[in-house]
Amino acid sequence: MNLEEYRTVLATGSLVLVLIAAAPTLSLIIPFPSGMERFSEFWILGPNRMAEDYPFNIRVNESYSVFVGVGNHMGVSSYYLVNVKFRNQTQPLPNATSSEPSPLPPLFEFRVLVIDDGIWKAPLTFRVLEASRNNDYMFVDRLSINDVAFVVNSSARWDLEYKGFYYQLFFELWLYDVILKSFKFHNRFVGIWLNMTT
Amino acid sequence: MSDVSVLKFSFVLMMLLVFASQFYVSVTIAQVSESEASSALTSAEGAVDSAYQAVLRAEEAGANVSGLLVRLNDAGELLAKAKVAYRLGDFDEAARFANLSGNIGGEVQNAAVELKDSAWVASVQRRWFTMTGSIISVVGVVFGSFWGWSFFRRRYYRRVLGMKPEVAPDES
Repeated sequence: MNLEEYRTVLATGSLVLVLIAAAPTLSLIIPFPSGMERFSEFWILGPNRMAEDYPFNIRVNESYSVFVGVGNHMGVSSYYLVNVKFRNQTQPLPNATSSEPSPLPPLFEFRVLVIDDGIWKAPLTFRVLEASRNNDYMFVDRLSINDVAFVVNSSARWDLEYKGFYYQLFFELWLYDVILKSFKFHNRFVGIWLNMTT
Repeated sequence: MSDVSVLKFSFVLMMLLVFASQFYVSVTIAQVSESEASSALTSAEGAVDSAYQAVLRAEEAGANVSGLLVRLNDAGELLAKAKVAYRLGDFDEAARFANLSGNIGGEVQNAAVELKDSAWVASVQRRWFTMTGSIISVVGVVFGSFWGWSFFRRRYYRRVLGMKPEVAPDES
């Protein structure tokens, strides 16, 4: 190897060392993209905290429980609102295409702050307090959620195809928008179908 | 009209007024309670929102906000209870929960501001040490390279100049 070749090797080695030494400062100045996708998880589990044994055939004055949970992967601590709603088969669900929440009023709600990469979960117990049947119609008048009673006055027609009076207890996830300074529908919802048997 | 009839009439009128006044007072109290509940809810929502924004700023400054989030979750839970109570027309409970929530929100906001300030100072110190360390390292590498190169070059020339020419045997 001649002197020129030695000089090239030394200059390259020095440059590499300079870059290594400057890396901590460069990382403060140049924002490196994390490459992580930002999203929120939203789920319901059955009474045993498993994705099974969800309540389905329900009766008046019997309690049923589920667990609702939120996972935060938004890159920062996030403030969520979970709205609990109740509907029959004809009432509207949220529209995932247009990111519109269901126009039905919320019955119960949770407001939770979840640290980044953290999860939150809470039990939810519900019970139909008053319901009556009139031929092909079922009327659910009152419903209790976590021991708070709500007037729902919701009627369901007998479903000829699936043989039952179907209702849905569903949950909408809203996220606090720091710019808007208010909650915005996060376009996530989950629910369980309920067949009112008496 | 006899004195007895006048007395009876007055008594009945007085009783009616007493009943009416009770009804009027209870309605007035209920209305005040509703407006108070509404105002308490608005105030609590503002306090929790502001506290959340302060927590976010503290988190951005590098502070560990997990303790604050636990407290703020208590405020959120109370605020949700207040909202539900308000929707059900239980304005007393709504106002009570909202006030509790607002108080916690205010405490969290103050704590978050303090935490952000201390985290900011720590962050500035950390950046200063990092940048100083980097600059010293870069200068060290550059000077070291020049010194190493001149040392190597001297040795190289000395070695080359120190070489003695040898006469190769004539193999022809």
